[in-house]
Amino acid sequence: MVYGEWEAPDVDINTVNFDQMPFSKLSDYGFFKGKIREFNPGKGVVLYEPASSLFTDYAFKTRYIWMPEGASATIQDDSEGTIDFPENTVLIKNFYYPADFRYPLEKIRVIETRIMVKKNGAWEAFPYLWNEEQTDAIYKAVGAEVSVDWVDQQGQAQFVKYIVPNQAQCKSCHNSNEVMVPLGVKAKQLNHALPGKGNQLIAWEEAGYLEELKPLQAYPAMVDYSDISSDLNLRAKAYLDSNCAHCHRAEGPASTSGLFLNYEETDPAKLGVFKTPVAAGFGAGSFTYAIWPGKSNESILTYRMGTNQVGAAMPEIGRGLVHREGLELIKAWIDAMPEESFHHLSAGKR
Amino acid sequence: MRIPVGLVLSATILLSCQRSSSEQSFDSSKVPRASPEEIDRLIEAFIFAEDGDTIAIPAGFYNVKTQLILDNKKNVTIKGAGMAETVLSFKELTSGGEGVKLVGQNITIEDLSVEDAPGDGIKSQHCDGITFRKVNVTWTNGDKSKNGTYAIYPVQCKNVLIDACIASHSKDAGIYVGQSENIVVKNSLAFGNVAGIEIENSDNAEVFGNTARDNTGGILVFNLPGLPKAEGRGTKIYDNDILSNNHVNFATALNEQPNGNTVTQIPPGSGLILMAAKGVEIFNNRIHYNKTVGIAISNYQITGFPTDAPNWSPFTSDIYIHGNEYKRSAQLPDVTKEFGQLIAVYNAHGKGKTQDIIYDGFWDKRLSPDIKTNPMNVCIREADMSQLRFTLFDLWEGEENIKSSSDYAPFDCQTEVHTQVRALSTR
Repeated sequence: MVYGEWEAPDVDINTVNFDQMPFSKLSDYGFFKGKIREFNPGKGVVLYEPASSLFTDYAFKTRYIWMPEGASATIQDDSEGTIDFPENTVLIKNFYYPADFRYPLEKIRVIETRIMVKKNGAWEAFPYLWNEEQTDAIYKAVGAEVSVDWVDQQGQAQFVKYIVPNQAQCKSCHNSNEVMVPLGVKAKQLNHALPGKGNQLIAWEEAGYLEELKPLQAYPAMVDYSDISSDLNLRAKAYLDSNCAHCHRAEGPASTSGLFLNYEETDPAKLGVFKTPVAAGFGAGSFTYAIWPGKSNESILTYRMGTNQVGAAMPEIGRGLVHREGLELIKAWIDAMPEESFHHLSAGKR
Repeated sequence: MRIPVGLVLSATILLSCQRSSSEQSFDSSKVPRASPEEIDRLIEAFIFAEDGDTIAIPAGFYNVKTQLILDNKKNVTIKGAGMAETVLSFKELTSGGEGVKLVGQNITIEDLSVEDAPGDGIKSQHCDGITFRKVNVTWTNGDKSKNGTYAIYPVQCKNVLIDACIASHSKDAGIYVGQSENIVVKNSLAFGNVAGIEIENSDNAEVFGNTARDNTGGILVFNLPGLPKAEGRGTKIYDNDILSNNHVNFATALNEQPNGNTVTQIPPGSGLILMAAKGVEIFNNRIHYNKTVGIAISNYQITGFPTDAPNWSPFTSDIYIHGNEYKRSAQLPDVTKEFGQLIAVYNAHGKGKTQDIIYDGFWDKRLSPDIKTNPMNVCIREADMSQLRFTLFDLWEGEENIKSSSDYAPFDCQTEVHTQVRALSTR
């Protein structure tokens, strides 16, 4: 791959016309300066990271938030700490692959950038597809398929047909009662420290993006599922929250299933213990329950995480590969569940 | 429950009687291919649709590799040039749970076909006012084990009309209405599915003028536990042809045990099945040549799955069956499924005899100590009851001591089932 040398003209985000969005090119927004593939953020463009991230075919991601000067957001009083954002807030998410994961800062290929903008009180999402020269990305509503290869942490060559979703598919996940919503920007996902940078909620407050923080203990916090020093149950539930619960919650598109996988859910039946499927079709494999405690290899949850068959694979969009590490975590969680402690749910079971 | 294999008639011989169908309503391979530009325009038409739009899809075979999603719009009509002229194929869809997804108010989809979606064909969710008219949804693979789940799939909707549609070869239900209210399914055809037409956890439904043939089970009314809409009530099923629903059950691979999906337990040869159903009237249907049972009145206990769930009861109640026409098949009842084995072996009329109506005999014992008091208000009043084969089972003592009786007298009654769908029927 040969990088192009083109540099973006300097655009001041504060002066762009939000009514004309989506712009045809990513460089039109002014989020990043110079060679925009290097993601040198413009003024007020703040890097953030959720505690537990969504798996997207092993893509690396960087996320940024921008708000108009003088505007700030408020953390709501609910159990997730959802955030009420001001008009014209922008969320920017870049998806990229280093050529060799052992050298994550080198030979980076950016595939797509997704933008969410809050306009006229409602969130909208716009997908941008990067060009071959890696100088810019163009607005691409219909989505795309991109062949990507890389060398993984173990030195093995890997390949995926990466799917850039079409614009309407954004709401397959970004959906709360059929209203488009951001997912990762909640207090529970932000209330942790970035390496060398301190707690993100404080960083947002210092940037003027949050008003009057209470002591941090007042806000919910989720663990990082990849942090093996954390409790297994919390790690598993953090993984399920970030990877499944955007749909599998009472307000999400998969509420039809009655399977609720959000971090706050505590009812074992809703989490899938001895729960029979409803509309799973061949997604059920040869299994009876979403979770059979102690039997990860006889649970529909792990079956659907472990298959690539379209129509059976979960999540339904956003992955063409199995997330081996995530699957191992959920298997360990199920295997650690003592079956006998759920007998009240299994009365009458075959 | 499990039935000892030793009691069962020779399963290998009977398996050869199972039917499989690969019938197609028309041959879409003859339809001219739409260009990539035309396909992109179609995808964009869904993405950028606005309230009040009509998305007209000209004749052609559209090989769509992404989902077509209509996102929360009002008064939108999606209109093809005819079932055999406009074909949306999702054979090469690489991600997404369904081919077409529709959300909004007063949405109509008509005059087109959807083929080979890996998951569901057309799903509509959170709709108030959704009409499927002259829509054909099918799978064209020879290998039915690869077919999708539901063909026509409204869920969590209000005011659902399915009219003059065709649904075939789905691995679960062809026409499936779930967790919805105010529903009409009329003048439609469901064939070659595991379940032809299914009404699940839904209120106020009428199913009439349809043909359900050559499915594993023709028409189903179920309430399943643990769902956001905990229970549905009120379904009328009338003037339907429920014919030869003797298709092999391909919801799981042949020789594989049923999984947690309830339809995997349906025995081939089932006309109508009620399970944990509340308030269902079945009248004036032609129920012909279903080799195992015409109408099965069953409770959720028959599945062997856990029966505890909030605001939900495993029992079927308030049923009225009357004025239907029954013709029995010359074929032997199914023995590939436990439910089929139960009927084939333990019915009250003799081994291997097709049944017209069976009642599995579970009831809520808090209401009465004796089923002869008809505690669940199950009423059967057919013209010539003495000529029909009726079996009441007693399964309370498990597979070791299955009892059955042909005494229908406790259920000779009538009851009222309330539905009100006039606004939909005339739409």
